[in-house]
Amino acid sequence: MALIQIRNLVKRFGTHTVLDGVNLNLQKGEMKVVMGPSGCGKSTLLRCINRLVEPTSGTILVRDQDIMGPGVDVRALRQSIGFVFQQFALYRHLTVLGNVMLGLRKLRGMSRAEAEAQALFQLNHLEMADHRDKYPSQISGGQKQRVAIARALAMDPAVVVFDEPTSALDPVMVREVAELFNRLNREGVTLLCVTHDLALASQIANRVIFLDQGVIRADDTLENLAKHHPNDQVRAFFGQNKGQS
Amino acid sequence: MNGWSGFQRDLLEQMPLILAGLRQTLQLTVIISVTGLLFGLVVFYFSNSPYQWVRSLIQGYISFFIGTPLIVLLFLMYYGLPQWGLKLSPFLVAVIGFTMNVAAYNAAYLTTARNGLDPSEIESARAQGFGRGQIFRWITLPQVLRLSVPALTNQCIGNLKDSSVAFLIQYTEFFARIQELAATNFQFFKAYLLAAAVYLGLVSILVLTARQVEKWTRLPGLGR
Repeated sequence: MALIQIRNLVKRFGTHTVLDGVNLNLQKGEMKVVMGPSGCGKSTLLRCINRLVEPTSGTILVRDQDIMGPGVDVRALRQSIGFVFQQFALYRHLTVLGNVMLGLRKLRGMSRAEAEAQALFQLNHLEMADHRDKYPSQISGGQKQRVAIARALAMDPAVVVFDEPTSALDPVMVREVAELFNRLNREGVTLLCVTHDLALASQIANRVIFLDQGVIRADDTLENLAKHHPNDQVRAFFGQNKGQS
Repeated sequence: MNGWSGFQRDLLEQMPLILAGLRQTLQLTVIISVTGLLFGLVVFYFSNSPYQWVRSLIQGYISFFIGTPLIVLLFLMYYGLPQWGLKLSPFLVAVIGFTMNVAAYNAAYLTTARNGLDPSEIESARAQGFGRGQIFRWITLPQVLRLSVPALTNQCIGNLKDSSVAFLIQYTEFFARIQELAATNFQFFKAYLLAAAVYLGLVSILVLTARQVEKWTRLPGLGR
């Protein structure tokens, strides 16, 4: 059974349809990449999975539980999904360590010592333990991302979702991010990543899902999408940065 | 004119009363600064309520108390309420009146500071599974309080100076005692100059303390 199953997901904001019947499965241990142009509904899709955005219709099952069903504990659901935001969204009044510890202390009810040990374990794992006492404003974009990942992993989530992980980073960082994602995936972390960065996608996934105007237009290898897809727009999108990737 | 010696004599004679008044002034200032901050935090919390009617109510509260002179409110309670059978002591009227007024200003400062927060941090906290109250307590409040330190400490300075208004509702604080001193010997200039010097001294202490608080609460790597 898939970890996340999305069926006929529709999201409308007023008269504007952002997601128009999306179907998607994410297996445990998988690393899935959803691509598409800006405004195609990628971020909304992610936000529906943890109900930061309420879907208009359709079903989403997370570990076989209908997340829109009655009596669903939304906060527990959110704790089971690690979310790494485009701008990383670290709490700027807390140190690196404090950022990772907050959820452990206040949501998991851990003692200070337990939370610190767990947070340091994750920071160490992401090579950020040396920066534990720094504030978000004192570290680089790539480092912020690692802290955001450590913060998500510390809560032991079923899946970590990434919203445009490279858009706030220097282009030379893409390889590093890709290596990190591949490493996490090898270690058993399930990842769902939305991006429009072909360079990143080509380094972390063979197959990608192409979302356009709220509909999944394709689910294929990058090679096929760039060369053999019948739709001109899809070929153009995946052929665009071929030289760079 | 033996103005100085007469003034000095009366000053020394009335010193115990003046000091008692000074104590009352400081007491009122400390109390209203604390209650004004605490109630201001409550008002601020509800200013972001998910319910429109609560937000409108809070906006109305803030507008009413910022838009009404404090003295009117104090007179209303001290001289007006007894006509409805409710007589409150000058101290109680001062504490209630100042608290309502100061809380409105503090809430307005905090609301302004909230506009300086990064909305993605709030969204990130929601995504982590924090509830509304937790986000307020652990994310919003620590940042908003830091951003508001200069405004909040300025309000405390304002509280000290404005507390002199309480003498108009028979609260015998420092300025009321200085009035009595001036009335004894008609040395108005000297008496009020003394009052000004004392207020200035106290305000200077508050300003220095405020700068320290700003320094302690500043986050490394950020302007504030």
